[in-house]
This record gives sequence, C-alpha cells and structure tokens, in this order.
Amino acid sequence: MRREYDIDLLIRKFKEKDKIALARLISIIENHPEKASDIFKNFNHIKHDSYIIGITGSPGVGKSTLTGAIAKRLLKEGKSIGVISVDPTSPFSGGAFLGDRVRMTEVSLDPNIFIRSLASRGYRGGISRAVLDITLLYEAFGMDFIIIETVGVGQSEFEIYNLAYTIIVVMVPGYGDAIQMQKAGIIEIGDIYDVNKKDLGGADIAAHIDMMLDDSTFQGGWRPPIVQTNSITGDGVDELIENIWDHKEHIELSDLLSEKKKIRFAYKIKELLYYKIDIVLESLINQDELNHITTKALENKFQIYDLVHDLFSDVKFERKSKS
Amino acid sequence: MADGKIRVLMSKPGIDGHWRGGIVISRALRDAGMELIFGGFQNVEQCVESAIQEDVDVIGLSIHSGAHFAYVKRLLDLIEEKGLTDQFMLLVGGVIPARDFSELKKMGVANVYGPGTMTKDVVEFIKENIKK
Repeated sequence: MRREYDIDLLIRKFKEKDKIALARLISIIENHPEKASDIFKNFNHIKHDSYIIGITGSPGVGKSTLTGAIAKRLLKEGKSIGVISVDPTSPFSGGAFLGDRVRMTEVSLDPNIFIRSLASRGYRGGISRAVLDITLLYEAFGMDFIIIETVGVGQSEFEIYNLAYTIIVVMVPGYGDAIQMQKAGIIEIGDIYDVNKKDLGGADIAAHIDMMLDDSTFQGGWRPPIVQTNSITGDGVDELIENIWDHKEHIELSDLLSEKKKIRFAYKIKELLYYKIDIVLESLINQDELNHITTKALENKFQIYDLVHDLFSDVKFERKSKS
Repeated sequence: MADGKIRVLMSKPGIDGHWRGGIVISRALRDAGMELIFGGFQNVEQCVESAIQEDVDVIGLSIHSGAHFAYVKRLLDLIEEKGLTDQFMLLVGGVIPARDFSELKKMGVANVYGPGTMTKDVVEFIKENIKK
C-alpha cells in the first residue's frame, strides 16, 4: 500500500478548505522540504496573517491539556485554530510516541480546528524542522490562530522564541526555588507565565517568578503576568486568555509584532542557508574521511582542531558574481 | 511521495478501559521506528478525523468490549463517506474471538490480532504492507 500525492490536485482542494488536502500537504512538506517552494508558489497572492501562540515547558506540566483548554475558548469565540504539537523522536529507533492529541479529544471534532502531531525527527530546540513551514500552510489556509506546543523541554530548548508571537511558559508546583528562577534560558522567554496544576499548590512558584521579574528590565514595556491554572477543570484559563489578548494588543500597538515577525523569518532563512551549506559540505567531505580523522583523534585527542582545519585546507568557498 | 516515517493511529473505541494492549502495541511500533499517534478513547468520528488530520497510513483499533463488528462497520462506512476507501490500513486487536477473524477481514480489516499476539508479527505485517 502506498499513497501517491498530486501537488496540483491537493492545492486545488486546499483552496476549497479541504482538511484532507491540508493534512497531505503537511506530510509532503515534512518529508520533502525540497518540494516546499512548489507548494508555496501557489500562495503568493495570500496576505492573511495568523496570530501565533507558543506553549512550552517541561514534560508532564500539562501543555497539551492547556492547549486544548485554550483552543476550546478560542473556538467558542468563533476563531479558527491550527495546532502543532511536537513530541520527541527516539534517538535509538527513530520512532515516536505522539501523545498530545489524546489530551484534546474534546475539541477535536470542531470544524474550525485542525490538530497535527509532529515528531521532532532529530531536530533540536524543542520543535521540529517542519514547524515553521506548517505555520505558513496554516496561514495560507486562513487560520485565525496557530498554537505551537513544543516538546517537553529542559532549560535550554527555546527555539520557540523565534517562531511564536506570544510565548506561554508553563510550570507546575515544585518547579524550584528563587535560585532556579535566576537561570538563563527557558525562564527568560515567557510573555506569560502559567503555573498549572493549581489544585496542587504553586503559589510559591508564582511568587518566585514575580521576584525574578522584579529584577528584570522589560525593553518592550511588557511585564509578563503570572497566572495559575488547572487545565483539566479550566480554572484560571479565562484569566490566561485575557492575558493573551493583552499581550497581543501590546505587541500589535507597538513595533514588537513586526520585530517578532522579522525574527521569525530571519530564523528560517538562516536555517535554510545552513541546510544548503550542509548539502555542500556533505558532497565535499565523505564518511571515510570523517572516520579517518575520528580514528586519528582517538590517537591524540588534543589534535581535534588541527584535524578539522587540515580537512578544510583545500576547500575554498566562493560566490559567483551575479552579473 | 507519501514516504517518510510510517504513521499509525492507535484508537480505543468507546469507553472500554482496557488500555494495556493498545499501549504495548503502540510502544512496539515506536521501537520499530514508526510514528505512533495515541488517540486514546475515541468515537468513530473522532477516530476518522484524527486519521485524516494526522495523515496516518494505519489505523489500529484496540477493542475489548465485544463491539468489534458494529464499530468496524461504522468506521468503514464513515471512511467511505469521506471518499477515503482503501486509503488506510485497518488493523484490529484485542479480545476478538477467532471465529470472527475471517468475517472482519471480509469487511475490509487487513489483519486481526487476538490474545497472545507477538508484537513483532504486528510490526512485520505493517512493514511488509506499507512501503515507505
């Protein structure tokens, strides 16, 4: 069994708001990034922007349930939503157990929502390579909102910062003390902090975040609010939504939104450039050579910089002049 | 063109609370390099909509309630209604009497797995029949 996808037919269906076509275009983009331009060239006339919300935090803090709870309220207001939920790919088998959608069953049949689970497929930073491309597909589809839910992250996986306009960092009771809050990384990127699982406490965590914010400067003029929620019962979610609206308004009225959009595309452009350079590199340096210098490094580990330098001694990068 | 990873939806019809079988198989498929979307409890509509949005190759139903004929029929009807006949491989597992296997297959189920199934048999069947 093997399905063949015809891009032109899918694009026609996509423009009629067909979800099957949207799902299949996502698969093509995820599996064949080289075909992205064939797809996107059909959307050049579309000017629609979606508002992108990022939800991040450690594994098990309730990101998926919270995504479902936020989506439920946005749907009630008549908004259309595209959800992207990322879970990790196994470094051993290459497989993945994607268990985010199961938390959103309640909203899954609403005609105005589309939910896609993605495996990270070796990409770092808590997302997958295809995430930005899929946000573009959702924008072309006309979604009002996009919610990106990251992999359960640690301290330093914050690529979501480059992709979303409002970032919600989700924490739970027992997260850590005042020292933990001073660390760089994930704790710095929140536009809104949510201490979930409110039924278990968490007022101390909220207070620690508040103290951490007291020592921060807010260049954009936005002091991140702190909310406590119970994503299962929905307690506190209305307040969280209010804060999302406030932040959205804040960045729309200042230059911050256009700044964030610039970051979003600069990030992707850089990534595409690296992707191209990777292909060039792979064509220049083969696996045998890599094995050879790895063996040499085992003989003398202090040589590693020199070995790589030598490998590049006969490589010359040059741009042809475009005349 | 649909290559890449094999994607499988694991769905539990209705509110039949016997999770273990579905979890064990899901885990085996993960360890075999597939992308497993765990749907959990779903009605027919939720199952088909998930299969569509996740663009899966395989739908796995874990059924322990005895409702396999009724559920499979409604599922296949809905798939047909959406114009997606033969687009998904449908597998059924759980407490299914051996005498029902051939009838399920006649309806359009690709394979049926009862108690005592070896996980590797499920993995091999999927890999042999879904070419990616």
